[in-house]
Amino acid sequence: MSRYLARRLGQSLLTVFLTVSTVFVLVRLAPGDPAAAYAGPTATSADLARIREEFGLGEPLITQYGIFLRDLLTGDLGTSYSFHSSALDVVLERMPYTITLSVAAIAVTVAVAVPLGVWMARRADTKRELGANVLTIAGQSMPDFWTGVMLLTVFAVLLPVLPASGFTSWSGLILPTVTVAILQLALVSRLVRREMTTALASPYITVARSRGVSERALTWRYALANSAVPLVTAVGTRFAALLNGVVVVEVVFGWPGVGSLVVRALETRDYPLIQATVLVTATLAILVQLLVDLAYPLLDPRVRLGKAA
Amino acid sequence: MTRTPPRTTPTPPHETLTRRTLLRWGAAGGAGLGLAPLAACAGPTGAPGPGTLTLGLNRSLVSLDNKLNQFDAAVTVQRAVRQALTAIGPGMKPTPVLADRFEMTAPTTWSVRLREGIRYSDGRPVTVEDVATAVRMYGEVAGSFVLGLFPELPSVEATGARTFLLHTRQPVPVLDRLMANILITPAKDNRPEELRSGVGTGPYRVVGANSGAGEYTLARVPRYWGGRPAVERVRVRFVPEESSRVVALRSGELDVIDTITPDSAEQLTGLPGVHLEQTSGVRLCQLFYNFRKPRDHPLADARVRRALTYAIDGESLVRDVLTGSAEQAAGVVPLSLQGAERTGSFVHDPARARQSLKSLGADGLRIRIMWESGEFAADTSVMEAVAEMLKDVGVRTSLLQFEPGGDILKWRQGKGGDWDVIGNGFPGPTGQAVTMLQAMYAGTAEDERTGDAFMGYVDPAIARRISDAATEADPAARDRELAAAQHAVWDTWPCLWAFVPKTLLARRTRVEGIGLLPVNSYDLTAVRLEG
Amino acid sequence: MTTTLAPPERPSAVSERHLARSSAARQRRGARVKLWAGAFCTALVALPVALAGLLPLADPNTQDLSRRRLPPLTDGHLFGTDQLGRDLLSRLLHGGQVSLTVGVLAVVVSGLIGIAAGSAAGYFGGWIDTVVSRLLEAQLALPLLMMLLLVVALFGPSVTVITCVIAVAQWPEVARLTRSLVLVEREKPYVAAARLLGLRGWSVLARHIVPNVLRPASLVVLLLLAQAVLLESALSFLGAGPQRPFATWGRIISDGQDYITTSWWLVTLPGLVIALLVVGVNLLGDGLRDRVRTHKPAKGV
Repeated sequence: MSRYLARRLGQSLLTVFLTVSTVFVLVRLAPGDPAAAYAGPTATSADLARIREEFGLGEPLITQYGIFLRDLLTGDLGTSYSFHSSALDVVLERMPYTITLSVAAIAVTVAVAVPLGVWMARRADTKRELGANVLTIAGQSMPDFWTGVMLLTVFAVLLPVLPASGFTSWSGLILPTVTVAILQLALVSRLVRREMTTALASPYITVARSRGVSERALTWRYALANSAVPLVTAVGTRFAALLNGVVVVEVVFGWPGVGSLVVRALETRDYPLIQATVLVTATLAILVQLLVDLAYPLLDPRVRLGKAA
Repeated sequence: MTRTPPRTTPTPPHETLTRRTLLRWGAAGGAGLGLAPLAACAGPTGAPGPGTLTLGLNRSLVSLDNKLNQFDAAVTVQRAVRQALTAIGPGMKPTPVLADRFEMTAPTTWSVRLREGIRYSDGRPVTVEDVATAVRMYGEVAGSFVLGLFPELPSVEATGARTFLLHTRQPVPVLDRLMANILITPAKDNRPEELRSGVGTGPYRVVGANSGAGEYTLARVPRYWGGRPAVERVRVRFVPEESSRVVALRSGELDVIDTITPDSAEQLTGLPGVHLEQTSGVRLCQLFYNFRKPRDHPLADARVRRALTYAIDGESLVRDVLTGSAEQAAGVVPLSLQGAERTGSFVHDPARARQSLKSLGADGLRIRIMWESGEFAADTSVMEAVAEMLKDVGVRTSLLQFEPGGDILKWRQGKGGDWDVIGNGFPGPTGQAVTMLQAMYAGTAEDERTGDAFMGYVDPAIARRISDAATEADPAARDRELAAAQHAVWDTWPCLWAFVPKTLLARRTRVEGIGLLPVNSYDLTAVRLEG
Repeated sequence: MTTTLAPPERPSAVSERHLARSSAARQRRGARVKLWAGAFCTALVALPVALAGLLPLADPNTQDLSRRRLPPLTDGHLFGTDQLGRDLLSRLLHGGQVSLTVGVLAVVVSGLIGIAAGSAAGYFGGWIDTVVSRLLEAQLALPLLMMLLLVVALFGPSVTVITCVIAVAQWPEVARLTRSLVLVEREKPYVAAARLLGLRGWSVLARHIVPNVLRPASLVVLLLLAQAVLLESALSFLGAGPQRPFATWGRIISDGQDYITTSWWLVTLPGLVIALLVVGVNLLGDGLRDRVRTHKPAKGV
């Protein structure tokens, strides 16, 4: 167990390190000059040169990388050009918003998709089930920015009952959450349906049924519990992906999370901020995956970590 | 690898318990982890309270200091907390704020006296030392936008407890207006960087800030030295999407949105509970020619540049694309600037354009227009419409759009690639024609060596005229000189087309007393909330 | 199988109606409904897009500033006009050509990369497998959309770059599937036979295994196409779409977003078109997969 954990942690660290290094090189290869974005339209070449000096952009790439690694070890990710303060702090200030949105979206998805999937498994291949199936596919097929704009039009413009943007009240969470959840619904509900169909057809269910266990208990306590591992894997993976992937929805709803931060950081070529964002989100995503893996033996006693793979 | 740590086999009930509790704890913990940090900053409702004014900015206000960060709407908020010696008031005239006297006593010397009894929000008095330190700090910070406005920073010589002299090497006749950009902070707390906290002399103080999200809450200072502002609390929000701002204003979530696009203005016109404010602006948007073309290129010929302007139906652009929220330029700088001169106007005459181009041997011209997204409102629509108009006179056009953060600066300096026309917006934050003229048309051959002459525009005679005017102490002589320079510039036909967007602001009708200035800011102390 | 053995005259309690209500029949019917609905939706969008040049439509770039933002069904503009008075339907169809081309090309490229990497990882195992698996894992952790935006900024927003970028975003799916299929396939007797006959690893893989996994692997292609179209429109929406004057779907929506309170059709209709196509393609892909599953129940994916 601890050996497994150590190996997984090592691998995760390596992944994060490689990711951040790739981004480090990529942003510097990309055209665009942070100094120009910083100084504005009236800047002269002399101004730009001075700013580049200030940012340490005059050094060769390899030197910059060395400095970056050295600072990284001390937890210093540099000063954001556009926020004039620690890039890590700026990201950490925004992170709770993204986490909130992701948690809420996943919670809504699970709350809807699991009962829906169970229902679909029990009513497999009926007309209604087909209808529900097609509906979830439709939800998955709409571009998220379009769904967002449409929801915005209906619930903030036509019937102004919900705020249009930002997070000044809890009601502001509703629209972005629903937008994200619609997209995830199909994936999770179909997974539940597949797992449940298999589980419900297993011999142990027949045995339990013959012993007089109620259908309800059969479904929820027996079959669903046995589908827990794939379900948790899928939900964990979706959650990790959301931490990185709610960019578009954040932009549409003016959500003050890291997604909209990234878009701005890219526009201003704010290198330290881009790096800090990638580092934080990648670490978090990997951590979530790791936690999911570690939860397997608790969910299913048959699983022993380190045995497979 | 296959060996697992010794593990006592738990009894089944215990096992299920573990599983259940894990799931439960996981769910609760996850939710708590995500939601806890936010509980503090989110109130129960989104609608502002009766005594609270909510502003929706489309750019993030990084701090309430302006050393590195100054855009129009920010000025409104920054000045509610920190103040300068002067401010630019109605009619582009400087009005005294912290100074009650600001006079030029010699061409390079100004005599200033601080107002009696002014204090910071924490009770400390304002001293001459604070002013001297502020000027020094603005000079030391790298990449300051404010610094670029000053031909040189003045030195401060204290002459009494409240009086001091400002010295410059060359005459700076507009120093009283420029000093409106230097915000005063206690000397002890001032540093050559963007200040993230601290106090000012303004009518409001910061009671809550999340600079990462660009959100601030300001509250009235109980013992403000001036008149007590009517609004008790001001909330500043950052709402980047224009459409979201419009929707939020409609629903009453926001009270004021500034710098709105023409389209938003059109959408908001006539809505109940919403009122639009507009003044003529100080920003100039130009389709500027590339002045780095080789001599034999058609665009190096002023007559060709002029002929092309006939192709542009400016009236239609203003009416249909900019929905009436702009005026065609009638001079080389916006006419609302102090010292601006009416020099001519753009005429739409496609037949003449075609004919002139033909007679000048420039038919079959191909033009590449470049611009950065968001350079001005409706930029893309304007460019696409212009391209179509040029096509009608036989000029083939290609569009090159840069995303923000891209390489357009390199291209502007002639180091990126070849282009013919650039869409460019130029701010006029000082309210002075001379500042804008200096930045655009006073480029020298030396500037051009580093690509710093504005789009390659180098005309020594015009440059000399403008610099002479800039150091002329007599206002009448200065305006005469400037007017002559502006006529000379117009005759070189530097733009395919130019327009001056109006400064637009939308507010809920419960907000009264916004005296929107052409520089696109207003005095928060004058704002009232009704009902 | 059993029905052919049974003599026709022999009485049976299982009537036609029972058969029609059987699970297998219902599954087949469901798959058929999905296939037909999918094909219908796809064709409804893809055919006009493909034939955009032949249809009697206004030029997508001709502006008429006096006819800006006309609502649908006015003056012969079926979908209305946009903020510059251009025919929205025409722009959607022509824009669709760019979006669909990008999508199809991206799927081809990601399919090639994914099958190559996945089959090599599955067949050879060892360090190749480690590298490929690590890459697959790492990509999950990456802020993908942001990396894509970065790369588009780096190499310029040309159709080629955007195609490659989407392909890179999608190859893991194909690779993972191919790898798992090859892992099963490689243990089969015919592979051992080929090896015994002296074929080298690469030729066994290329000539015997890959053709066998190609069919099941190609089932994900349609689903990937749907994703590619969505991804392209998201990139355009965030400003990293193909350079103007190409009117792609995402760009039309993001341009129209500023008008949602006054001109609903500028956002609603393009979104509906995308959704219709993607729903169609998804249903088609889903139906195909279901059909394969019901026909060959032993070979689950």
